[in-house]
Amino acid sequence: MIRFEKVTKAYPGHPHPALDNISVDVEKGEFVFLVGSSGSGKSTFLRLVLREYRPTSGRVYVAGKEINRLASWKVPRLRRDIGTVFQDFRLLPNKTVTENVAFALQVIGKSRKEIQDLVPETLELVGLSGKGDRMPDELSGGEQQRVAVARAFVNRPMILIADEPTGNLDPTTSVGIMKLLDRINRTGTTVVMATHDSGIVDQMRKRVIELENGHVVRDQAQGVYGHQN
Amino acid sequence: MQLRYVYSELGQGLRRNLSMHLAVVLTLFVSLTLVGLGVMFNQQASKAADHWGNQLQITVYLCRVNDSSAVCPNAVTDAQKTEISQVVQDNPEVDDFHFESSEEALGKARELYGDELFSGDNPAITAEDMPQTIWITLKDPEQYEGITSAVQGLDGVSKVRDMREQVAPILESINMLQWVALGTAGFLVFAALLLVANTIRLAAFARRKEIGIMRLVGASTLYIALPFLLEALVTALIGVALAGGALWGFMYFGISELSQNRLKFVPWIGWGEFRLAVASVAVLGPLLTLLPTLVLTRKYLKV
Repeated sequence: MIRFEKVTKAYPGHPHPALDNISVDVEKGEFVFLVGSSGSGKSTFLRLVLREYRPTSGRVYVAGKEINRLASWKVPRLRRDIGTVFQDFRLLPNKTVTENVAFALQVIGKSRKEIQDLVPETLELVGLSGKGDRMPDELSGGEQQRVAVARAFVNRPMILIADEPTGNLDPTTSVGIMKLLDRINRTGTTVVMATHDSGIVDQMRKRVIELENGHVVRDQAQGVYGHQN
Repeated sequence: MQLRYVYSELGQGLRRNLSMHLAVVLTLFVSLTLVGLGVMFNQQASKAADHWGNQLQITVYLCRVNDSSAVCPNAVTDAQKTEISQVVQDNPEVDDFHFESSEEALGKARELYGDELFSGDNPAITAEDMPQTIWITLKDPEQYEGITSAVQGLDGVSKVRDMREQVAPILESINMLQWVALGTAGFLVFAALLLVANTIRLAAFARRKEIGIMRLVGASTLYIALPFLLEALVTALIGVALAGGALWGFMYFGISELSQNRLKFVPWIGWGEFRLAVASVAVLGPLLTLLPTLVLTRKYLKV
């Protein structure tokens, strides 16, 4: 589903590349934690998947497409196959929960009928049925993140990217979000989650890829956050 | 594509940046009006030149039937015409020349004074009353004496008209008006472009959250840019409409009034030229807002 082949990404003006010749393969339906300290290259990894950047060298394949060769006008199509969740939720403050989720479908041209079917169904999946008319600022942080997950998943993408989704949440709420991501993963969606949260990684026992200074220093099938010998 | 969102964004965008849009509309209005006036002055100048000859032209009147001139016992013959044209052709001061028939002259007069004099069973003026002419374009406006004297005494030539001294100042003023209008329009067009650019920057900033999310969920570039393009189009169309109105006022209260009641001898521009001016403005206005919008949305809304 996601394949990095000897990928290097250097930013102009920086002496060391953010990613240095890494090769990673993520299969369809996998759940992968991306761990590492700040500046280790996690965000660059995710941005390459989203085709916000092109690699300096090497190849990146996402959902069967080689993103180096993907024409700019085809990028929107690629992104419809990828849902994205951020630490800071990124909800539209002047829209209700329902409108926030529906927005993602509206702007890719889905019909009103589809929106009317998909939005309530997805809100139910994330545990927010009955809260569709609330505004984002009337919700707790955990609920806001559920809205963001609903928005990312409402189009049933093949891949879900989560960049520190629990970074702003307390541990109990975080567990709820992780259960939700796990449930989404079980529907067959590939989940890649960048995180600093060692508790969560240790608990989930999923595949862990650790980055350090742009290198993959660990790729473990059922890993934990810290090094284990 | 679902356009409901685009239209609601268009309305919101126009309201949110009302002052900027007003500035764009007003600048466009004034600059497009000036461009339109420039086009009309340009038409006026060429119309006057067609009628009186331009700064380089002199006109040779050939004898007609019952010519009042003493040198014309009869109407000019074809043989005389051939000889005259040979003389004109051989003269080194002449750049170019052409014949104008009586019918063509009648058409011009008819255009200027209206049909009344020329129609009915016994019209006041017919083609026979109009002399045939040769329009000679000089190479150098100062070098005219040689050709004038060469043609003057030839058989079949009634008189040589040199109206350049009268025509030149008129054409010069019209040309000056044209360049003043177009020059001022140039500055205002530049201001309008800057205003459009600023408006887009503000609008893109105000909508950066929406735009960011739209990019993430895979909205097409066109879909993201569409509200901006429609805003640009709406402001352009309002500007064009206002400029069209102002040009219409100029024609209706200025030119038509003058041409019907006073200064009737001047070949004024008509509604055909007005339509040409409005058409140029209607093409230029949307271009002025859409082009910078296309360029800048690519910059600010990059995927």
